[in-house]
Amino acid sequence: MGVLVIVGTDKGAFLLRSDTARAHWKIQGPLFKGWKVTTVARDDSGRYFVATASDVYGQALHVSEDLDNWRQIENGPAWAKDTERKLNQIWTLNLQTNRFYAGVDEAGLFASEDGGESWSPINGLNEHPTRGSWYPGAGGLCAHAVLTDAKNPKRIWCGISAVGVFRSDDGGLTWEIKNQGIPMLIEDKKHKEIGRCVHGLVADPDDADTIYRQEHTGMFRTRDGGETWQRIENGLDSSFGFPIAIDRTSKTLYIIPLESDEYRIPIDGRFRVYHSANGGDAWDPLSNGLPQENAYMGVLRDALAVDHLDPCGVYVGTTAGTVHVSNDAGDSWTQVSCILPRILSVSVYVQE
Amino acid sequence: MPQVTVQLPSILGRIIDESRAIPIEADSLGGALRALVDRHPALGVHLFDETGNLRQHVLCFHNQTNTRWLDSIEAPLAKGDTITILQAVSGG
Repeated sequence: MGVLVIVGTDKGAFLLRSDTARAHWKIQGPLFKGWKVTTVARDDSGRYFVATASDVYGQALHVSEDLDNWRQIENGPAWAKDTERKLNQIWTLNLQTNRFYAGVDEAGLFASEDGGESWSPINGLNEHPTRGSWYPGAGGLCAHAVLTDAKNPKRIWCGISAVGVFRSDDGGLTWEIKNQGIPMLIEDKKHKEIGRCVHGLVADPDDADTIYRQEHTGMFRTRDGGETWQRIENGLDSSFGFPIAIDRTSKTLYIIPLESDEYRIPIDGRFRVYHSANGGDAWDPLSNGLPQENAYMGVLRDALAVDHLDPCGVYVGTTAGTVHVSNDAGDSWTQVSCILPRILSVSVYVQE
Repeated sequence: MPQVTVQLPSILGRIIDESRAIPIEADSLGGALRALVDRHPALGVHLFDETGNLRQHVLCFHNQTNTRWLDSIEAPLAKGDTITILQAVSGG
């Protein structure tokens, strides 16, 4: 058994491999040299999907069974000409149910019913009555988070920046905005219920109604599927950040706070991950082995991952191109011996 | 139809896992690009945007002529012509 970490960067993907001790890493790459690798996912059959993008040559979705032989999917997510939208990149892939989902920029959600070979727009969300009032965040107008309910596949959540969280209870036909309790960031003249800037979403793996939300304006939790949100910031010295991850086994949450939306750097140059072992009721910093002086890198929303082993491995990729790994649930950290291009995404897979 | 050669940048050549120099038979420049995408559908999304036009930062040369300066993408081709796809590079 081994662990594979796929690091997506501005200039390609890198494969980091280790045994389950996760102490020594072999590095391979770049795959898709020259392309942004915006997100990576693996489906239940073990196939890997990689989303690439280029400011020159557009975006695409690729699939491989062995990480060596890749095939570009010809009928990937695409906006129809009459929408007058551009599909700039795929931000997220959710392959956890028989129906695959892709969240994209310009914001929208696409689904595939045939294992990723063809994709159709989810018009109930993409043409939502509030669409004309959707405004981009600093990272663009992007649908970057999709959650599904393993017990009820008709329930779907989608996070869009800087709009907010939407939920469908009917398989994507209709969508309701779920922002109650979240402070407004951009006020629309007509639609006061949007204008929230969700940065990251994760759900309790055993309870889809419990969702943790790293928002531009703080850390929040819902226990009712998004009907209401409450702040959970006890112990944080900043509640601004982007990524959030949860360990399936221990339910430990991990986030990486940055100093304010204005600065977006580690506070005082101390690079720290925060964790919560009690569902966000309290947070504590993790810093043993992480750079604690003169460290001013950021971590993008898809660049934090956990491997769900026991103890849980935690993986962080930074905008400075460094990769930081913990093999003991965050108690201690080592930096992998590489300096990569700006890191956009980190995903981890346990291989038999 | 005359045979011409389409030259791709390496970043696109790797997508189709083929030589960067692709022989194509076509009567016109537009016909050559359509034939290229017919043979390699994966290239379509990389060369053309949602409007069906060449992407803003993709350059296409017919021999030495930037095709943006042509009146029509349907310019006729002659045997041995070269169509070169390039990334527009401006500044550093």
